[in-house]
Amino acid sequence: MDLFTKILWGISIILIVISLKKDANKTKDSMKKSRSMMKNMIGEIIAILFMIGLILAFIPADTVERLLGGSNLILSTIAAAIIGSVTLIPAFVAFPLVGSFVNIGASIVPAVAFLTTLTMVGVVTFPLEKQTFGLKFTLVRNGLSFLFALIIALGMGVFL
Amino acid sequence: MILEKIKTHKLIALVTVLYAGLLIFLPEKAMSAFANTGYYLKEMIQIMPVIFVLTVTIETWVPKETITKKLGDQSGIIGNLLSFILGSISAGPIYAAFPICKMLLKKGASITNIVIILSSWAVIKVPMLANEAKFLGPDFMATRWILTLISILAMAYVTTFIVKKKDLSTNETSSDPSVLFEIKSAYCIGCGVCTKLAPTYFEMKNSKGQLKTVPTKKEASEEIFIAIENCPTKAIQYYG
Repeated sequence: MDLFTKILWGISIILIVISLKKDANKTKDSMKKSRSMMKNMIGEIIAILFMIGLILAFIPADTVERLLGGSNLILSTIAAAIIGSVTLIPAFVAFPLVGSFVNIGASIVPAVAFLTTLTMVGVVTFPLEKQTFGLKFTLVRNGLSFLFALIIALGMGVFL
Repeated sequence: MILEKIKTHKLIALVTVLYAGLLIFLPEKAMSAFANTGYYLKEMIQIMPVIFVLTVTIETWVPKETITKKLGDQSGIIGNLLSFILGSISAGPIYAAFPICKMLLKKGASITNIVIILSSWAVIKVPMLANEAKFLGPDFMATRWILTLISILAMAYVTTFIVKKKDLSTNETSSDPSVLFEIKSAYCIGCGVCTKLAPTYFEMKNSKGQLKTVPTKKEASEEIFIAIENCPTKAIQYYG
């Protein structure tokens, strides 16, 4: 386990001990609630991790570097943003997936565009959002989110 | 029965088939795929308890009710800040935020704050930040967090400029007026909280909560209202 994870574990243990001491029943109630929420996701998470393993076994690192490595940054970033918009996977597993691509040579600019549109722009959930808030709000929110995802991605490229 | 299971777990079924095929035809590739997966599984198992604890602590100690009362048109910067906090501490995918935001709009929350809640709900949830920092590094996470924060604020104000409250559709009635209780299954994330809190009324079917019986106003006991209140996505509707 790396240092960063150890620190997070330390913080978590302190938090849960304080929480249990202050109000054991309330904490246990929330635990039950969170546990059933996570239990429902776990199958899908594991399945996606196996998919990542599969993808990495088939896509050679130099292909990733050639397509996403920064030689055609604008095109790959827009493509990544579009893919993120139409995909619906939990953000939970998106980080290891994106991390694996960055590790084998992808630039962080398309990576960030993908991460941001993945959660903020929802093509699949568009009908549901429209039904809840109306067409205008949904169009404006998703459109702006797509645009700002590109801005955030370019900003990351400048700063990191 | 088996067919139903496959339908609800499409992805798991697909992955199983792919690996089975690979093991037969390209065992070498299968082995390297297993090795890759093993690495990510190990990393994920290390970070899961952290995410769990953060979710539990937030759920137990952050007074969401008090926050929601302070999001109106006049709430200004404080309201914006509270919206950021509310979005960042919540759990579940973005569509889980829709019914909650709808409820907040009815209570008078401003469009600016609704956009802030929806966007921060999507991208900057606290437990996910821990996950992001682990797989992409703390620098990456912190920079993206700051840039996203600024972007969300800009988006919220632009949206307020374009979209007015009258543009939002707010037709919220039951399809059948005699029905008092209903589960909007599109919002249900299948967490099973309702079936635990009120097993008399709710059951799980195809990974979604469902009403076993629809009680009348007289029949409805405290139990069902506790379930309505605790539904994380406010998917259970009460037309009373």
